[in-house]
Amino acid sequence: MAVDDSNEVRRMSRWRALLPAGLLFVLSLVAWQVAVTVLDVPVYIVPSPIQIGQELIDSGASLVSDLGWTMLEAVLGFGVGSGIAFLAAVVFVHAPMIERAAFPWAIVLQTIPIIAIAPLLTIWFGFTLVPKVVIAAIICFFPVLVNTVRGLRSVSGQALELMSVLSARASSVFWRLRVPSSLPYVFAGLRVAATLSVIGAIVAEFTGADRGIGFVIVQASYRIDTRLMFAGIALSSLGGIGFFGIIGWIEKSILRWPDARVSVS
Amino acid sequence: MTTTVHEGTVATEPAARATVLDGVGMRFGGAHPVHALEDIDIEIGDGEFVAIVGPSGCGKSTLLRIVAGLLKPTAGTVTVRGKTAAQARRDVEFGFVFQSPVLFPWLKALGNVLLPDRILGNRSPTHGPDIEQRARRLLDDVGLRGFEEHYPGQMSGGMRQRVALARALIYEPSTLLMDEPFGALDEFTRDRLNIQLLDVWNKARSTVLFVTHSIQEAIFLADRVVVLSPRPGRIVRIADIPFPRPRSLDLRYEAAFATLTGELRGLLEIEADDGVAPDEATSWQ
Repeated sequence: MAVDDSNEVRRMSRWRALLPAGLLFVLSLVAWQVAVTVLDVPVYIVPSPIQIGQELIDSGASLVSDLGWTMLEAVLGFGVGSGIAFLAAVVFVHAPMIERAAFPWAIVLQTIPIIAIAPLLTIWFGFTLVPKVVIAAIICFFPVLVNTVRGLRSVSGQALELMSVLSARASSVFWRLRVPSSLPYVFAGLRVAATLSVIGAIVAEFTGADRGIGFVIVQASYRIDTRLMFAGIALSSLGGIGFFGIIGWIEKSILRWPDARVSVS
Repeated sequence: MTTTVHEGTVATEPAARATVLDGVGMRFGGAHPVHALEDIDIEIGDGEFVAIVGPSGCGKSTLLRIVAGLLKPTAGTVTVRGKTAAQARRDVEFGFVFQSPVLFPWLKALGNVLLPDRILGNRSPTHGPDIEQRARRLLDDVGLRGFEEHYPGQMSGGMRQRVALARALIYEPSTLLMDEPFGALDEFTRDRLNIQLLDVWNKARSTVLFVTHSIQEAIFLADRVVVLSPRPGRIVRIADIPFPRPRSLDLRYEAAFATLTGELRGLLEIEADDGVAPDEATSWQ
C-alpha cells in the first residue's frame, strides 16, 4: 500500500537525519582523545575515550549487571509513578474539587529536590529496592499527571455532544473518547518520565546501595577511578536513551493513526 | 423558566410522529445575556425535510441543539414523536451532523461509521451480525467506496463530512439534525454532497432539520424553509418549496428558483448567501 511506502521512506530519512549527530559524536571523541594526549592530562583527572572504552570492556560484565539492577529500579518506579499519576489524572478530570485540593500539593511535591528526600527514604527502607523505586516513582509522577490531565481534557465539545446524542454511558465516553484522545499526551509524558526514572534510580543509589550504576559511580569516586566513573556515566546514559527509545517504539505501535498529535478533528 | 413537560406515549398516527416546537424561546444568562430565540412555533411532519436559514447569530444552531435535547429552552416546549426532546435523545431518535466532521482520528472510516453501533449495541435498531455490511453500503452511498480503511487524517474535508453523514445514518435515527454540515466546504464539494444527501434521505426517509446560512442550499434541499431573523431569532417566514423531486443541480438555474431565492433573501437584511469561504481545496478520488 502507498501508506507503507511512505513509512519506509520516512524511516530511511530518519536514519539520515541522525547522521550529523553521529558524526559530531565521533568527531568529539577524536578531539577529546587528541586533546588528552597532546596536553598530557593525567588519567585521574580526565581519561581518554580509549581508556574509557578499555574500562568498559574490562568491567563490562559487572557493569552491565549493575546497569540491569538500576534499570529494574527505574522501570518499577516508572510503572508505579506513571500508574498512580494516570489514576490521579482520571480522578482530577472527573472531580474538579479534588483537583483543586490536591493539585497544588502535586506541584509542591514536584519542587522538592529528590536528592533531599533520598537519604530519608534510605533510613526508612534500608539498602533495599524500595527507596530507589519510590524516588523514581516520585520523579515520574508529575510529567505523566500533567500531560494525562491535559489529554483527557483535549476532547472537543462537539465530540461530547456527539456522545450525548448517542446517549452514551459515562464509561463509554471515557473508554471510547477520553482515553484514546489522551494517548498522544500520555505518551509525551511517559517519554519524559522514562529518562527521569533512570536519573531518579541513580540518585537514590548514591545515598545508600550495594549495587547499581549509581553505587558503582560513588564507589569509583572514592578511589578517584575516573575511568570507571566515565564508564558508569556512559552506561547510565545508554540506559536512559534505551528506555526512552522503548517507550517511543511502544508509542509508535499504539498511535498508528496519522497526525496522532492532533486530537479529535 | 416556564418549561412544561409533555410526557406522552408514542402513537402511530402521523401527527404523533411529528416534531412540534411550541413557543420555544432561549435566553442565555451570565455576564453578557443573550436573547437567542423567541416564539418559535413549527410543526415538522414525519419524513419532512425542513431547512432553517438565517444570518450568523440568529440562533439556528441553538434551535437545533434544543430539538436534540442538548439544550433546555427557557420558554416553550419541544415534542418529538410524542416525547420530550430529552427523552427522545435518550431513546436515540436523533442523528446529528456537526459543522465539523467530529471524527475520531484513531478510527478508520469504517470504524467511525460503526462507532454509534458499538456504543448503542442492542439499543440500535440496525444492530446485528450484518452491521458491518450496512456500514460499507452507507460509505458506498456517500461515494466513499474504497476508503473504508482510511483514517480521517488521510481524507479531505469533504470526505470526512461524508463519513460523518454515514455515521449519523448507521442506526437509522428517525430524525436527522444537521448543523451547517457543508458550510466549511468549497462550492463543488458542497453541490455534490447536497445531491448525495438527497439521495440517502430518499432511501432513509427520516425527518431532516437542516441548518444553513445559504438560501440557495436551503431551497434546493428542503420541503419547507424556515427563515429566521437575528437577535432574537424569530420566524420571519415559513416558505413552502414547490419544486418536485428528485431534484437536480440544474434546478438552481430555473427562473422560479431565482425568484424564490430573491424573495427569501429580501427577507434577510444582510447578505447571508455565498458567505462560504472555500478554505480547503478538496481532492476528488
